[in-house]
Parts: sequence; C-alpha cells; structure tokens
Amino acid sequence: METVLSISNISKRYGKIQAVKELTLEVEKGQVFGLLGPNGSGKTTTLSMILDLIKANSGSFQWFGKTPGKESRKRIGSVIESPNFFPYLSPVINLKIVADIKDIGYEDIDRVLNLTGLFERRNTRFKTFSFGMKQRLAVASALLGNPDVLILDEPTNGLDPQGIAHIRELILLIASQGTTIILASHLLDEVQKICSHVAVLSKGKKLFDGKVSEVLAISDCYEFSARNVELLETAIRSHPAFQSMTPGAEITQVYFNAVVNPEELNTYFFQHGVTLTHLSERKRSLEQHFLELLDNNQ
Amino acid sequence: MIKLLKIEFKKILTYKIFWILTGLYFLFLTLGLLMAEFMINNMVDNMNKRLPIPMPHVALYFLPWIWQNITFFATLRYVLIFPAIVIIILITNEFTFKTIRQNVINGMSKAEFLGSKLLIIMLVSVTVTILLTIGTLILGIAHTSDLTFSMVLEKSTFMIGFFITMLTIQVYALFFGFILRNTGLSIALFTLYLFIVEPILYYFLKSPVVFPNNISPYLPVNAVLRITEYPSIQVLKNIMGINLQESVSFTAICIPLGYSAIMVGIVYWVLVKRDL
Repeated sequence: METVLSISNISKRYGKIQAVKELTLEVEKGQVFGLLGPNGSGKTTTLSMILDLIKANSGSFQWFGKTPGKESRKRIGSVIESPNFFPYLSPVINLKIVADIKDIGYEDIDRVLNLTGLFERRNTRFKTFSFGMKQRLAVASALLGNPDVLILDEPTNGLDPQGIAHIRELILLIASQGTTIILASHLLDEVQKICSHVAVLSKGKKLFDGKVSEVLAISDCYEFSARNVELLETAIRSHPAFQSMTPGAEITQVYFNAVVNPEELNTYFFQHGVTLTHLSERKRSLEQHFLELLDNNQ
Repeated sequence: MIKLLKIEFKKILTYKIFWILTGLYFLFLTLGLLMAEFMINNMVDNMNKRLPIPMPHVALYFLPWIWQNITFFATLRYVLIFPAIVIIILITNEFTFKTIRQNVINGMSKAEFLGSKLLIIMLVSVTVTILLTIGTLILGIAHTSDLTFSMVLEKSTFMIGFFITMLTIQVYALFFGFILRNTGLSIALFTLYLFIVEPILYYFLKSPVVFPNNISPYLPVNAVLRITEYPSIQVLKNIMGINLQESVSFTAICIPLGYSAIMVGIVYWVLVKRDL
C-alpha cells in the first residue's frame, strides 16, 4: 500500500485551547478516510495544518512520502469550510485562476462545472449564487484537474437533502475511480455511507481509528445477570478490559474497551465464582459507539 | 512571473472598483496638472492686489522644467493616496474573501502571493510613469518655443524620481494592507498616517530641543515626498536667489527604497509566521 498522507504527533494550541493534541494518522492510497468528531474536535484545524494554512506547534506530516510544499498541494483538491471565491468574478474565471495556480489547462473546467450542475450558470457572478451553488462550486474547484487526493471539510453542510444526495453520489463516483478522499464530518451517517476508514476525534485527540466495517462489527457491549449481583459487579470491575457499566434491576450492561468473546467471559466469571444466569452480546451501531467513545472521554 | 501576472489580471480585469478608482485617479491627475498653472496664477493675481510690487505669473509647462513641475504636482499626498488605496483594496480583498487561503491551498506559496502583489505595484508604477511621460512630453512640446533635443532630455530624470515615488508609496500601502488585513481599517490608518501622524511627527522632530540632529526628513513618507520636493518656479528662484532642487538625488531615492525593502521583509516574515 502506498501511503498518501502520514501525520505524526501533530499538535496545535490556540492560547489556552488545545485544538489538536499529538495526532497521528496514516491515509493510504484509494481510501475514503473519514475524520469524525463533533464541532470543535479539531477536524478543520487538522486539515488546515496539512494544507499549510496554519502552522503546527509540534509534530510533522508528509504528503506522498515527501516533505510537503506547494507542489504537493497542487496534487490535492480541497474544500475547507466556506467556499472562497472572488464574488465579482464568474465561476469560469474563478476556476481559471485555480487552474493557473495548479499549472493545469482550462479544458477541465467545463467537465467539473457539468459534474456539479453549474454549467448553465458558468458566466454569472459568484455573489449571485445561492449557498448550495457556492458549495458546489467549491467542490467543482476541488475536482479540477483530477487531483490525487480530495479533501472535503463538511462538504454537505448547509445543503438541502437533494444537494446532499448529489454531493454524496459524486464523492462515491470519484472514490470509485481510485481517488483518495479525506472527509471531515460530524455526521455519522455520512461517514458510514461514504467512508472506508475512519478516525474519531474528540477535543483534539484521536480516540479510535480503523476500517468502518470493523468499527461496526465491534461487539464490546455485553449484558449479564447473576443471582449474586454484588459478586458479579466486583468481577466485572476487575476485568482487564472493563470500561463502564450500567447496572439494572435484572440486567447489567457492560462496555469493554477491547474485543472480548462470550466464551472467554463465561470462563472468566466462572473462575471468579460467578454463575451467570444471562449472557448476551449487543451489536452497536457506529452512532452508539461514537457517542460512547465521546462520553468516556468527557 | 508571467503565470502570477496572468492570475492577477484575472482578479483585476472585471473588478469595477479597481477601474472606477483608476479612472478617478487619472481624471484627478490630468485635471490637476492642466489646471495647476491657472490656479497658481489666479492666486498670484489675488496677492498682487495687495502687494506694492506685483509678482510675475508662473509658467509651469515649458521644457525642460516641466519634468520637475509635473512630477512635483503628481506626487503630492492628495494624488498619491489614490494608487495607495487601490493597492490596499486589492490586498485586503484577498483576506476578506479568504481567497489568499484558497490560493495557498491550491498550491501557491506565500512568497509567490506576495510576489504577485509586488508585480502589480511594479506594473502600475511603470504604466503610470509611461503615461505621464507621454502627457508631459506633449504638454511640454506644445508650450516650448525654440525646442532642442537636449531640452527634452535635460530634466527628464525627474521621471525616474516619479517612478520610485509611485513604487515606494504603494509598497507602504501594501505593508498596511498585509499587516492589518482589513480594508476599512487599512485605508483609515494609512490616510491618518499620511496626512496627520507623519506631519505632526515631522514638526515635533524638527524642533532642535527634541533632537539635536534633525531626522524628520528621514521619516518614511517624507523621504518619499522629498524625491521630487520642489517645483521649478521662476518666482521662487527670484525670491530665494537659488533653485531649490536641481535634480533627483541618488540618496533621496535610496531612503524610501530602503524602507520598502524592510517593509517587504516584515510582510514576508509575518505572512510565513501567521496562520491564514
């Protein structure tokens, strides 16, 4: 596998606020990598650092295995926060400026305008655009010249359902052509639908990363019951992978921070003198997992 | 370099405010220069009503002195403020529209970004200098009898002084734009410095009580204005007994260029250090 982006121990502080803390990430070629986290978790700060917009306080990153610079940025198409264009210029001229900077020809402009459904409006000034159209132009600009990597920061933010569906289809289409995509989002459902890999961020720290399918398959939540509740709870608390527990009248729900299997658990409890009357594995959705991960880090 | 100019042209070509301000600048400049003689003579007439010995009328537009006179009037604070404001707007727009971020994201280096703005300053300075040279030549030839070729060339070095004035005042404006990033604030503070802060500093520093060595001529804007400090007017020569300025001095050019180099250095340093 060819590594497209590797970030090691990158940190950024804004005064007292630690925006990103010792973040380490690897993105391989062809992945659709989701950066998932609530607002203020450091997604945009991270993307801004790897695009040389802001300077990291410590740590480093590499693009395509090399020290980053303007040449590596030319191979990346990005949509970061709001769409930034000259309001008094038409989409075509705005895109020509982008093409000039990236050292590519103007032939691709019509294609990206068609892909994003803006071709009809190609000669109207940017400031007359609706928010959705502005956002689509930002996507068009990112797609210009078929970049090796596409960075999308909340690309569907503020769009209507139709617009969201359109942008998601477009991302999947581009991903299917082998382009590496890095997508920041606070919407789980978006990451679940689009991404192959995910890193969960909270308060600037990486909580978890891996394949989206693996995250979904993790079964680290179990329900137990036993006649001797006290003994059961003591045994649960002393389990090496114990994370948290919600005791109930009948059933005690337990979260583990590592993968455990029912057979192991049964043996474990038996060794601790607990005879289980109930043991069941609970599959969780990414959403539940995400919220739990966040909760545990409060 | 050509690539950067191509990008800058696209940003400017259909930008109305740029063309309106440029148009106003040329209108103001042309009218001002054409009316300068008439206005001064009008003043002379008014004064003559009260003076026992009448002063003679001035003649500004004959060669070779026209070079000195035109460049003097074209580099007054009131005229220089126009290109300075234009440059401030072009730079602060990039921060307002966040297009500087987008340019960097797309693969422009910060040095290239700064370079593209310096290129525009250079281009504006060259263009205005050429246009003013043509205008001055036409006006001069029309007002001069017994014209010789050496008369045309004699004081034309004032045009080099004019070019440096245009260049450096715009670099000062660029400095304000890049450091403050906000259009209104940059224009307000630049105007305030140009018309109020530096003139006050000038008189303050001039007083021998404050500073034994007078450093007031070396203040940034004053250094620029000193390149073409005096017009060549016969009356002044008669009264003072000497010609106040014969030519554009090399040192007078070097001081504002030195300031400009320092400002560009600071802007580059800040641009690299600061987050976008």
